[in-house]
Amino acid sequence: MPAEKTIESTRSPAAPDPDASGLPTELDAPRPPRLLVGGVGYRLLRDLSFGPLLADRLAKDKWPDGVEIEDLSYGPIGVMHNLDSRPPYDRIVFVGAVKRGRPPGDVLRYSWRRQLPDEEEIQARVAEAVTGVISLDNLLIIATYFEKLPQDVVVIEVEPADEDWGEEFSREVEEAVPRVIEEIRLSIAGWLPS
Amino acid sequence: MCFRNLPIEFDAQGGVTLRGGGADPFGYKTKAIDRDEVKRRLAKDDYVKAVDYDPVTRVAGALGFHSVVDLENRKVLEASSIATLFRGYEVILKGRDPRDAIFISSRACGVCGGVHATCSALAIEMAFGICPPPLAIVIRNLALSMEFIWDNSMHLFMLAGPDYSEAMIKKTEPTLWDKATRTETRWGSIHGYSKMSDLFHDMNPLVGKLYLDGLELSRMAREGYVTLMSKYPHPETIVPGGVSHTVTIQSFNVYLNRLMKTFDFAKRAIAIWNDIADFFYDANEKYKECGTRPVNMADLGIWDDPKAYDATYKNCDAWGEQRWATPGVILDGKLVTTKLQQINLGLEEFIEHSYYEQWTGQPHKTDPLGAPLSPYHPWNKETKPKPGGTNWREKYSWSTAPRWDRVAVEAGTYARPWITVLAGKLPHRKFLDLTPDSMKILIPKYLAPEVEVEWKIPPVFNAFERNRARAYSIAYQCVVAYDNWLIGMDILKTGDYRTSTPFTVPKDNRMGVGFWGAGRGWLSHHLELDKGAIVNYQIVTPSTFNAGPKDPWGNPGPYEEAVMATPILEEFESKEKFKGIDILRAIRSFDPCMPCTTHIYAGDQHITCEVNTCACGEDD
Repeated sequence: MPAEKTIESTRSPAAPDPDASGLPTELDAPRPPRLLVGGVGYRLLRDLSFGPLLADRLAKDKWPDGVEIEDLSYGPIGVMHNLDSRPPYDRIVFVGAVKRGRPPGDVLRYSWRRQLPDEEEIQARVAEAVTGVISLDNLLIIATYFEKLPQDVVVIEVEPADEDWGEEFSREVEEAVPRVIEEIRLSIAGWLPS
Repeated sequence: MCFRNLPIEFDAQGGVTLRGGGADPFGYKTKAIDRDEVKRRLAKDDYVKAVDYDPVTRVAGALGFHSVVDLENRKVLEASSIATLFRGYEVILKGRDPRDAIFISSRACGVCGGVHATCSALAIEMAFGICPPPLAIVIRNLALSMEFIWDNSMHLFMLAGPDYSEAMIKKTEPTLWDKATRTETRWGSIHGYSKMSDLFHDMNPLVGKLYLDGLELSRMAREGYVTLMSKYPHPETIVPGGVSHTVTIQSFNVYLNRLMKTFDFAKRAIAIWNDIADFFYDANEKYKECGTRPVNMADLGIWDDPKAYDATYKNCDAWGEQRWATPGVILDGKLVTTKLQQINLGLEEFIEHSYYEQWTGQPHKTDPLGAPLSPYHPWNKETKPKPGGTNWREKYSWSTAPRWDRVAVEAGTYARPWITVLAGKLPHRKFLDLTPDSMKILIPKYLAPEVEVEWKIPPVFNAFERNRARAYSIAYQCVVAYDNWLIGMDILKTGDYRTSTPFTVPKDNRMGVGFWGAGRGWLSHHLELDKGAIVNYQIVTPSTFNAGPKDPWGNPGPYEEAVMATPILEEFESKEKFKGIDILRAIRSFDPCMPCTTHIYAGDQHITCEVNTCACGEDD
C-alpha cells in the first residue's frame, strides 16, 4: 500500500448511456449535486460531543437543496456502510472535536488529502473502529482506504476544553460555534453551483 | 455442596447458613508472589527473555501483557496481564439519578453498549420493582442477539482471524504454511475452500475475503439492531421496564430480513473454524496446549423468557433457568450450580494486585433473601482507585481479580453452550436440542439449505476450542433470535404492542442486580439506591474475569494461566525475531475487551486522553 493512496471514485456520475431503445431514461438526467455535513463524535461528552451536538443545531436551520445534515455518532464502520448504500455525495464536510493540544476553542478547516498510514496502522484503526472507538481520524482513514469517500472532503475541527459528562459545551467551544457554522456555510457556498 | 471455599452452605431445601461463623468468616491470608527464580533466570540465561506487549493489538481497549519466555525450552516462565486504563464508571455513577446509569454505563464499552445498557436496565427494574411487558423482553433478546452475532463474528474474522492468516503463518510458522499448501480442507463443501492455504489467504487482514465478509456482516447486524433500537452503538431507547419506542410487524420483518442473512454466515463460520482447529491439531498435537487451562467458567445466562422473567431477585433462580442460555458455573469441568442466587453469592473481587485501595466495612451482611454475603462481593465493594507504579509482585493492573468461590473462572460466549449442555435444563427446543455432551443447532435455510450442526464439549480446552465454540455460538445466537422473532410475531398478533412499563423512582433504600451477558460472556451490574440516587454501582465484565491479575493467594488470572500453559511453537531464527504468536493466540482467544473510552479518572484528577496521530494537512 503506497503512503498516499490514489482513489478512483466509483461513484462519480458517468456520462449517461442510452438504454437499448436509445430513448432517454431517468438515469440519463443530471444527478442533483449532494453534500453531506456530518457531525462526528460521542454523545454526552460535552466538547467531545461537538460534532453530533452541532449536527442537532444545524438540522434546525434551513439549508440549500442537496445539503444533508447528519449526526454521525455511530462509528466509522457504520458511517462507511451507510455511505456505501446511498447515492454518492459530491462533497462531505466532517465536523468534530479532536484533541491535539491546541488552544481550547481553536477551529481548523482543511481539505482531506487522503494520506494514509501503512497497512498495519490502518488495520489497527479498523480494530479500534470495530471495537467501538468513534474517532474523526479513524473515519477519514478507514473510509478512504475502503474507497467510500468522494474526492472532495472538508474537515472542520475544534479543539475541546472540557470532556466531562454532559451536553453543554465549555465557554471556549461555545464561543467557537459561530465560526464553525460560518466555515460550514463557506464550505457549502464554495461548492454550490453558481 | 455448591461452595468448596466460601463459608456458605445450602441445604437440600434451599436453606442457607454461614458456616463456621467467627469474627471474620470470609477472612483470608495472602500469599506473596515469588519471582526470585524468574529473576535469576533472566539474569543468567541468554535464552530467557522478557517479552512485553503494550498494547496487545487487535483487542478492544487497552491491554498490556508481560511475559518471561524460555526460548530454548520453549516455555513461558511468567505471565502478567495488565489492564492499563481505569474504567471510572463506578465512580462517575455514584450519586446520580439511577436512570442515568443506562446511558452512562453503556459507554463502558464501544462494542457492547447495548448489553451494558440492558444490564443496567435489568438492575434498575429489579430495584424499582417493575417488569417489562413480554414484547419488550423479546425485543431485547432480538436486538442483543444481533449484537452478539456481530461481536463474535468480528472477533473471529477481524481480531483473532489475522492470527490464522497467510500473512501471519508465513511469518511465524513457514513450515506450517508449506503444509497448508498441500492440505485439503474437510469442510470445503460448506465454506468453499479446497486448500487450507486458500482459506488462510482469505483470512488476511484488510484485503482477505473472509475479513471483508466479517466487516460486511457488521452492516447486517447493525441494521437489524437499529431497526428495533434506533441507534448503535450506545442506544438511547433502553429504559427501565422495557424500551422507549414502538415496533411494528413491518420493523419485525425488516429485522428478519437482516437476521436471515446471518444464517449462512454462521454455517460458513463453523466450517472454517472446524477446519482451522483440525489443521493445527493435525500439524502438531502440541497446539492443543495453546491457551489451555482448567475448565473453570461462569456465565449468568442470557435471553429471558417473556413468560418467566419477573425482574425480582426472589425468583431469579426460576427465571434464570428459563433462559435460552442457562446460567451456571463449571469448576474442573463439572457443573456446580445453575442458580442465579448462588452464582451471585459466589462472586468476589480482590485488589491485592490492582491499583485500588482496599475498602473497609461491609454494609450488607446478607443478600436481599438473607443469604450470607462476602465483604468482597460487589454489593459491598467500594471503588477506591489508587494509581501507582508497576510491580509484578505487587500491583500491576487496573482490573480487579474477580473470583467465584475463590477460583479463577473465565467468561466467554463458549461458556453458554457448555453450561447449557451440562445443565440439560433448556426449555426452548424449537431450534436447539441437547445430548449429554453436545448441543444441536438447527440453522434455517437462507440461500444455503437448512442444516443441523452439533457443538460437542471438546476433550481439550484451549485457544482453538474457544474460537471453534465462538463460531458455533453465532449459530446459537441466530436461532435464539429466530425463535424470539416467532414469539414476538405471536405477541404482535394479539395486539399487545406494549414495550414499556410506567415507573416512579423510589426514594427508599433498594438493591438491584443485572444478571446478563455480553457477546464475550458474563456481565453483571450491581447497584444500591437511596433517596432516589445511586449509592453504589459495580460492574463486572467478562474481561474483568479474564484479564484480571493474580489473586490474594498468588493464583493467576485466566489470561495469565492460559499463557503459562502455552508451548512456544513459533519458528524463529533468533530471539530478536521472536514474535510471540502462540502467546498472542492464547490471549486473543478470550476475545479481550478492555475499557473502551478516552476518559480516564485517577483519584481526583482527570489525566490523559488517547490522541490519534493526525494524517491531515492544514490548509485554507
